Amino acid sequence: MTFGEDSKTQNVGLVIKNTDGVIVASGLSRAIMGEKVIFKNGGSGIILNLDEDNASIILLEEASGVKEGDSLKTTGEMLGIDVSEELLGRVIDPLGESLDGKPKIKKGKNMPLEKIAFGVVDREPVNTPLKTGIKAIDSMIPIGRGQRELIIGDRQTGKTAIVIDTIINQKNPPAGGKKPVICVYVAIGQKRSTIAQVIDRLTLEDALSYSIIVCASASDPASLQYLAPYAGMAIAEYFLGIGKDVLVVFDDLTKHAWAYRQISLVLRRPAGREAYPGDVFYLHSRLLERSVKLNKQNGGGSITALPIIETQANDISAYIPTNVISITDGQIYLQSDLFNSGIRPAINVGQSVSRVGGAAQTPTIKSVSNKLRLELAQYNSLAAFAQLGSELDLATQKQLNQGKRLTEILKQPQFAPLTENLEVLSIYAVTSGLMDDIPLESFPRFEKDIHDFAKKNYPAVLNSLSTGEKPTEQTLKQIKKMVEEFKKRFE
Amino acid sequence: MNSKKIDKLVVYSYKNDFLNQNKVNKIATLLSKSDLKKYINALKLTENKKSLIISSPMNNSDLKKFEKLFPNKKIVFKKDPTLMLGMEIIDNDIVYEFTLKNSLDKILNYIEQNYD
Repeated sequence: MTFGEDSKTQNVGLVIKNTDGVIVASGLSRAIMGEKVIFKNGGSGIILNLDEDNASIILLEEASGVKEGDSLKTTGEMLGIDVSEELLGRVIDPLGESLDGKPKIKKGKNMPLEKIAFGVVDREPVNTPLKTGIKAIDSMIPIGRGQRELIIGDRQTGKTAIVIDTIINQKNPPAGGKKPVICVYVAIGQKRSTIAQVIDRLTLEDALSYSIIVCASASDPASLQYLAPYAGMAIAEYFLGIGKDVLVVFDDLTKHAWAYRQISLVLRRPAGREAYPGDVFYLHSRLLERSVKLNKQNGGGSITALPIIETQANDISAYIPTNVISITDGQIYLQSDLFNSGIRPAINVGQSVSRVGGAAQTPTIKSVSNKLRLELAQYNSLAAFAQLGSELDLATQKQLNQGKRLTEILKQPQFAPLTENLEVLSIYAVTSGLMDDIPLESFPRFEKDIHDFAKKNYPAVLNSLSTGEKPTEQTLKQIKKMVEEFKKRFE
Repeated sequence: MNSKKIDKLVVYSYKNDFLNQNKVNKIATLLSKSDLKKYINALKLTENKKSLIISSPMNNSDLKKFEKLFPNKKIVFKKDPTLMLGMEIIDNDIVYEFTLKNSLDKILNYIEQNYD
């Protein structure tokens, strides 16, 4: 039995100064970068700078308790978090302290916050879909397990809504006997009221039982905000280690970069572009590189990362957005213009891309969505052109109408993710021209009612669309028959 | 005054590895208030580096062993009955702790953190 750190030797130091939560201490001649230190008053911190005569330490709690002359000692430990299955359904801070009023998890595996990502040999290509339940994403910008897909857009464009829907959708058992997904939602620098809303919604949708929320709100010290995504990733790595598939959401990395900039400036590190330190790219790349799809020999688990970036005035060419775009395997770009014109989710199809998710798409959805992206892109360019002139030829008019129908069917209310078979049914009904005679304003009602109709009267068709295989001619004929039959009833 | 100059003054303050009171008094009168503070801190750090503090609840019977182990250090003995048994050695910023008090504290701390 051991009682923590080495009981024989300790490396001690003295606090020289305390500025905004950053402590400069003398002594600590054997300290190492990233090591955890403990202060005389019981507080703790981590070493972020090692100079010739002193070390700079960021405090992990409020700074007021530490004063000049206080003693501190190293622990010989890197910062870690205790993780076990008991964490599911819990709300914790980046140090593992309970924030939901329940007792702290004491028994668990200590996972290091900072860890080198898995190497090339341990990985395999992304080959399993991660269903978001959002038609536009699953059909045109598919996400695979182990992928890093950025969600980027201005404030109030529905970024968090997409990830919440994705978490809720993991409640549905995945098609084809795939493993269920554990979700980790990391809130960084957000208002506590916003985080409370997210928790309430997940509880309401019964999604908290397979989720863990790591919370470093705007009122928490910058050090906790800086550590939060690494804590989230460490939790995900625990479940990866037991062969599970995990989804990690970082909401959002813009505020994470702000927190790191604040710490770096107080540490007097040289400031670069927009006052961010030189290693701000590495800050995010080392985090997102830890998302992985492991091969069978290593358990076959995966960590899918959905980082969120908030832009200012739709500028995706700013410093942090371009950094994260280049790190990730694609991005979902949400635009405020689309949001305000009622297209929700407000995905800009032209600028959104999934670089590896296509390989993970099931043949079912691939078969109905292969033309979707192209048709929508053509519609968008034609729609802009059509605004200039009034007379349009029949072919153009037809293309515009089809584009409008596609746009309409891809709209989806919040907190209503769909299973793959219903997504396929909706998209196929439009792309095959079965809904050409339905007025656009009736689309939402038609879609909802036909889903209910199919569940009640054609469960076999829906089952055949759930297998993940390409729909047979027979299935497609049955869908046509079903839609025609439903149209007769639909007023 | 920068830290390198302060360090030089600290070196000048010593004569044959011992702090020279006359030199320190002379330097202290020449320094501004802020530099004097830095100078005193630097002196304290240097003194810490040059000395070895041994605390024990027993009498100082084994000091000669430590004089051999640390020939260039000034050995200071402190009797501390609260340690119960064993010895605590402070060598600048390294603390060697072999005391019963420390072991008991660690056991209590462990139980406190892990007991359900």
